[in-house]
Amino acid sequence: MSLWVDKFRPKTLDDLHYHQSLSIRLKSLAASADFPHMLFYGPSGAGKKTRISCTLRQLFGSGVEKLKIDQRVFISPSKRKLEINIVQSNFHIEITPSEAGNYDRVVIQDLLKEIAQTQQVDLNAKHRFKVVVINEADSLSRDAQAALRRTMEKYMSNMRIILCANSTSRLIAPIKSRCLLMRVAAPNPEEMQTVLEHVAKKLKFDLPEEASQQIAEDSGGNMRKALLVFEALKMQSPDLSGSLTIAKPDWEIYCHKVADLIVQEQSPARVLEVRAKLYELLAHCIPPTIILKTIAERVVERVDEAMKADVMHWAAFYETRMRLGNKKIYHLEAWVVKVMSLYKHFMYNFDMADFE
Amino acid sequence: MHTIKSSSGSTSKASRNKTKLKTVKLDASSEPPNKKLRTSAKPPVFDLIGSVPQPRPQESPVSSQQPSLLQPQIQRKDVKGKGKPPVDRDDDRLWVDKHEPTIEADLAVHKRKVEDVRRWLSEAFEGGPAGKLRKYRRILVLTGPAGTAKTTTLRVLAREMGFEIVEWRNSMSERGPSTLIDDFGDDSWMGTEALFDKFQAFLTRASSCYNIFATSSAIVSMQPQSHSQSKFLSQSSTPSLPSTSSSRPSNRHLILLEDLPNILHLPTQARFHDALQSLCSSSESGPPVVIIISDSGLRGENAYNDDAWDGAGGARWSKKETIDIRSLLGADLSTSPYVTRIAFNPIAPTLMNKALQAMLTKHFASTSGKPPAKDVVEMIVESSNGDIRSAVMALEFACVVTLTKGGGKGKTRRNVAGSARAVLEAVTRREQSLVLFHLMGKILYNKRKGDPPATHLSARDAAKERELDETLLDPSPLPNWLSEHDRKTSRVCLETIASDSPIDSSLLGLYIHENYTMFCTDVDQCDGVCEGLSWVDCVGGNLPSTTPHAFPTLALSTLHALPTPVPRKGQKVCKPSWFDVRNKEQDALEGVGDVVTWLGQGGASDERAPGRWTHANVALELGGWLRAVDRTGIAQLQLPRTHRLFSSLPWCAGGVGGNVLGEDENGEADEVDGEGDIRVLGALRDQKEGKGWWLESDDIEEAE
Repeated sequence: MSLWVDKFRPKTLDDLHYHQSLSIRLKSLAASADFPHMLFYGPSGAGKKTRISCTLRQLFGSGVEKLKIDQRVFISPSKRKLEINIVQSNFHIEITPSEAGNYDRVVIQDLLKEIAQTQQVDLNAKHRFKVVVINEADSLSRDAQAALRRTMEKYMSNMRIILCANSTSRLIAPIKSRCLLMRVAAPNPEEMQTVLEHVAKKLKFDLPEEASQQIAEDSGGNMRKALLVFEALKMQSPDLSGSLTIAKPDWEIYCHKVADLIVQEQSPARVLEVRAKLYELLAHCIPPTIILKTIAERVVERVDEAMKADVMHWAAFYETRMRLGNKKIYHLEAWVVKVMSLYKHFMYNFDMADFE
Repeated sequence: MHTIKSSSGSTSKASRNKTKLKTVKLDASSEPPNKKLRTSAKPPVFDLIGSVPQPRPQESPVSSQQPSLLQPQIQRKDVKGKGKPPVDRDDDRLWVDKHEPTIEADLAVHKRKVEDVRRWLSEAFEGGPAGKLRKYRRILVLTGPAGTAKTTTLRVLAREMGFEIVEWRNSMSERGPSTLIDDFGDDSWMGTEALFDKFQAFLTRASSCYNIFATSSAIVSMQPQSHSQSKFLSQSSTPSLPSTSSSRPSNRHLILLEDLPNILHLPTQARFHDALQSLCSSSESGPPVVIIISDSGLRGENAYNDDAWDGAGGARWSKKETIDIRSLLGADLSTSPYVTRIAFNPIAPTLMNKALQAMLTKHFASTSGKPPAKDVVEMIVESSNGDIRSAVMALEFACVVTLTKGGGKGKTRRNVAGSARAVLEAVTRREQSLVLFHLMGKILYNKRKGDPPATHLSARDAAKERELDETLLDPSPLPNWLSEHDRKTSRVCLETIASDSPIDSSLLGLYIHENYTMFCTDVDQCDGVCEGLSWVDCVGGNLPSTTPHAFPTLALSTLHALPTPVPRKGQKVCKPSWFDVRNKEQDALEGVGDVVTWLGQGGASDERAPGRWTHANVALELGGWLRAVDRTGIAQLQLPRTHRLFSSLPWCAGGVGGNVLGEDENGEADEVDGEGDIRVLGALRDQKEGKGWWLESDDIEEAE
């Protein structure tokens, strides 16, 4: 028993099942002497990281798969110690600076400088540069991004940077312009079905057509999610026949119920109730933006056409505040209350124009 | 509290002139002779307790020659000297010292508290009714705000029950300004032993020594210092305890730790914990240890370090920087059976009033001059916030003022009242005078001009409110298009609450956030409050303490949004559950981390492949798989148990999470830290425990 997502993750660019044109391009890039900084972006579960590791392998050979984990300690300007896990091979290094929270700038600067100032010592290495993979680049703070921008130019000879992000909108323009953008789109259901069937074939069992179809549709373009669901289903009902009920993740159901609470009743007592639920979600490490998004989508489904735009507008509004601010619950709750108030007035046929 | 015993001292004879010298002698007893002479010959560093007019020089040689024997005698004289009516020079001591209570009846502390302490002490010495409690009566921690007679109570009981207090003092305190230069000789001497080593030696010696004078003075001399307080070190002068008798049981003394080592320094703190721990666990029972902690006021904004961010995931708060029972004793010790905690509350106004009146009677029985008017005393009591030391100070000041300004004012008391109030307020006004509970009440009840008085208010308070209303100006009328923002003038003075608030804006925000819903009648009002919270948080950004506008903005936006008047339906102010949630989140995040590491180490695949999973992905997508694995119970996968913290999220039927509503304001089953990372909250809890003091039923009984 193991995680199929990890077990059947493609190792080389040739193994990839979809986005063939992207694979060809990556291969030729790796072959050329001149490898640029790159920015992989696309929805979660589309295969960005897989493509990055395949590219690295193409660049340096199987040596990149010999990974080790280092725990590094950084000292913030205010003398606080930050512990960051770093995954590295002889040829590349992988960091998730968002682990450092607000101090990601320190981590980025220290680490990049250190890597950039050391030459590749392995004479057999195919390339003279090392690659730095930065995960979750879109959660980098402004400071860190600005720090990155300068280093990217300065140490080009020793180092290439591969950024991995969900969307480019949170990256500052100078970084975007210094990178070669690689969009990894979510696979369509057919492509996902191919992958699922491939896994089933490797495991030597039969995957009914409708099951794979259902899984692919349900996972909304998230390959990782599809494979996880597939595996969980297989564990529950080994023959995968009959009607399958694909359980949504707990937190998603939870969010939907919260949305129902909001629509059902609008009162201070209900606000309190919703807050308890939001707290519960936060306590389970569900990122607040995801909470907001999921609840908002559900609320939009349930309210009148005329209100939908407003609901989303305020969701976006408070999401911004959440990023700037500190205590997520305030903003989540402020949005909830705002929606409640909107809904209530809508029900009473108020003219909303007076209130904004 | 550091006051001097008055007339009840039973021993007599001897010149009170020697009073002040005792500390010098203490010093001397442990030092090389030449040093001794020097120390005693120079004016010792006495604090305010005016030692000025005393004929020192002739005394000092004596003391240096026979230090150990002299000390108790002087002690005795001491008592006598203070006991004398104030005709003499001792008169220029402060009242606080002069009129220190010596018998329990004089204490303004609530009787039950004194009884608690007394019971503990007798259990510590005699072992309680069953005789077995002694083992567990090792450490008593007295906590409470400043000026609540913690130390005095102990001293009074020491006198009454006949035991001796051996007190530790940091020798650093010797270096008052006046001795800076003279003390160079000391340096070499002091440098030989680190302060904490001395402390440890003190503890060992104090806990193994016996009540013979030679030894006890040796202990006493462990702390070369010249604070006036050390005059209480040896209380053996009470007749009940013959000073030279070695036949007394060896346990009739206790160790008092009030001047603590620098426990904010972490290594020192660790050693301190160790020392106390070993004290508790040692099989032979030494003397009990009493630790006195004055709650230091926590004044908001600088309570945060500027880098104390508490962002979404990895909240990291900086270390504690206040001394409270948790940091002092450490997590395990403070919950161990060896430690008893007795929290002193601010002194109830009725009790304080009585005590002050008694003091005045006593004082003016022997001096000429008029006691201040009754309303002045009341005013002092009112403004002192339960701090009797400051009240006594203020009272003394009030008498001085009246005296110096001539008798005229004394006669027309009514007229004085107004100006006296102003003067007194200026003198006695204490920075941190608004109790959190009051602050929240002020904001959340949102009283405005012209509100009908609440039903539970007495006629007098209602009149006060009306009076206040008269002073408030009406705001200029708003134009039509802003009419929805029209409010009556608020009775809340923003400047006052902002400056008197015991908490900072970020904590205020949390409190408002936790409680506002109960005070709103409508979602629109909630919207206003929430919008304010959200805005302030967003503007304040990641450094919560940087903007000075946060506090007023929060308060104002809340006041503006709440209904007027707020309907009273028995709302209870709850503590923010935010900290609780954050702790849970922290734990869950660790669970996620465990799973990530486990995945990275090849827990679920054939090869080690670190770095493939991010925390967010695990939290969002792996939950179902983890639960499926759990259900099927596959043993060979050594899944980290901690995954349950985040992987399953059942919808609880009740609708409302228990810890939000169910928690009432004094809830002892408290969130708080354990890890010591929530500094602010820890301090707050202590505050809250004391917050109901003026309403305690037993206090009202006292009022007669």
